[in-house]
Amino acid sequence: MLSDREILSTLEMLRNEHLDVRTVTLGISLFDCASHDPARLRDQIHRKICTLSGDLVRVCNEVGDKYGIPVVNKRIAVSPIAVVAAPFSAVQMIKIAETLESAANAVNVDLIGGFSALVEKGFAKGDLALIDSIPEALSATERVCSSVNVASTRAGINMDAVRRMGLTIKSAAKKTAHSDGIACAKLCIFANIPQDIPFMAGAYLGVGEPDAVINVGVSGPGVVKKAIDRARMSNPTLTLGQVSEIIKRTAFKVTRVGEIIGREAAQRLNVPFGVVDLSLAPTPHVGDSVGEIFQSLGLASIGVPGSTAALALLNDAVKKGGSFASSYVGGLSGAFIPLSEDLNISEAGRLGFLSLEKLEAMTSVCSVGLDMVAIPGNTSADTIAAIIADEMAIGVINKKTTAVRLIPVPGKKSGEKAYFGGLLGEATIISVQNNECSKDFIALGGRIPAPIQSLVN
Amino acid sequence: MEKVVLSFLGKDRPGIVAGISRILLEKACNIEDVSMTTLQNEFAAIFIASIPERLQPEELLHELRTGLQSLGLEVLLKRSERLEDLRASKAAEPVVVTTMSADRLGLVAGIAEVMANFGANITNLKAVFRGGDDPRRNVMIYEVDVPVEIDHQAFRYALRKRADDLELDLSLQHRDIFEEIHRL
Repeated sequence: MLSDREILSTLEMLRNEHLDVRTVTLGISLFDCASHDPARLRDQIHRKICTLSGDLVRVCNEVGDKYGIPVVNKRIAVSPIAVVAAPFSAVQMIKIAETLESAANAVNVDLIGGFSALVEKGFAKGDLALIDSIPEALSATERVCSSVNVASTRAGINMDAVRRMGLTIKSAAKKTAHSDGIACAKLCIFANIPQDIPFMAGAYLGVGEPDAVINVGVSGPGVVKKAIDRARMSNPTLTLGQVSEIIKRTAFKVTRVGEIIGREAAQRLNVPFGVVDLSLAPTPHVGDSVGEIFQSLGLASIGVPGSTAALALLNDAVKKGGSFASSYVGGLSGAFIPLSEDLNISEAGRLGFLSLEKLEAMTSVCSVGLDMVAIPGNTSADTIAAIIADEMAIGVINKKTTAVRLIPVPGKKSGEKAYFGGLLGEATIISVQNNECSKDFIALGGRIPAPIQSLVN
Repeated sequence: MEKVVLSFLGKDRPGIVAGISRILLEKACNIEDVSMTTLQNEFAAIFIASIPERLQPEELLHELRTGLQSLGLEVLLKRSERLEDLRASKAAEPVVVTTMSADRLGLVAGIAEVMANFGANITNLKAVFRGGDDPRRNVMIYEVDVPVEIDHQAFRYALRKRADDLELDLSLQHRDIFEEIHRL
């Protein structure tokens, strides 16, 4: 027999604390679609995606209805296209992006990821073609997402790739200047990219993954915040150790939701269940914010001194609680601190509490990096590359995933607003100090060697 | 060996369970299942017990009524269905329906009628009405076995429509979600 408390607290999480499953992402391997004929390749890609994911949206909705937990996004992640379409040119890569878009439309998923390349140690022909095609591919499509892994702890940082991505971001922004550079919101640059991320824009299906797999991204910043608020109200002398316990318990509950939904969706689709990604993913709604958790912990705003420590506590507790709740954990698994997708964090940027430098510091203890950061349109490609390099270094040295999703908003300056719409929200453009001061460093190119794995201080 | 179902109803007080179980022991009856609860100081319990062949159910009922008279308990007895009858019961999905609303007449009847129309069996019902207009003070929680073979979408739709008519805030979820979230 269930207790009243179990039922009513679950309903409270659903109705007032925005508990949901943020994404169910179907990974699809495209390696068996390979062909020397680009038209045939596109045809096989389209057919395979539509065959495997034709029921994805219906099944997710049915499972969501059964448990009363909404599955907000249904997405697809495919094998890295730079490998799948290795022999082809940039023009042909754009055609493949359009094929992905067409397939995503046909099966009605929100986004499709995997227009990706892994170049941490160097470029193959397909990698160069794909990177060259990114600005046009992301401008010509709406649902296609792209990621490029330019660094890893085992390989170091490919600075030639970093420089190239600075130019790519500028070009993508320019091509979508009419919509504040939205193409850049669909492009992530990674260090140590995981093979099973369900969240966009970084989702792709790694080469070691099965033919098809379901990965799930949970949500829950609102649930964590309310749990902390309730505990602090009932116990004014609550310590941070006790707060950590509360976050762990809450993360457990949130993760169980993702686990049960993911397993049932996978079973109904007859594909294996992969991982639950434990990231706290915010949305641009009041009460569904990672930034608000910092205020619940006694900080005036995210970004003030103490924020990095608070984020470290939050991230660690989420991982501890979540990993106990799921049989397989993967993906990014940490707190997201996107500047535009979180109302509270966006406001912290507008009020000046949060600078690019503080964001960078915070990424040393959270999984994602500089996420959805709108910067002035006149920021140079070299400066963007240098920001990417800094972020990659944090990931490589700390043996963790970091990523950069920067949007140099064409024609806009710091303090102005950029509007992206939907889940991407809006952001105040934050200033970039010392623009044009990194050109010679970036021009050196080459590869920063992999770090030593001992002498760890 | 025959099984009987016994139900007991009366004011809650110390010694009720002791009194019942003492008489059952004296008559060599074996208690197999018990469920009891109290609501606002009223006691209710159901016992399923197997009784020896030499004992007639009517005789046991008489002994219980006589022996428990001082405790003011009402006693009912019926013969239990055979196990084969239970096995014949249909496959069902356990769901939890929760409703909240301002307190007024007819809420339980309205929802239970829809469930009955679809052959859904209420296995547990907890209703807490504290009065007033705050929906959170007037909550009904139904645990229901919904037959697998019925149209679940039609069931959901009918329940939601009835809830709208009654101005009830209704949610319907598979029972597993509560166990997954709250229990190890």
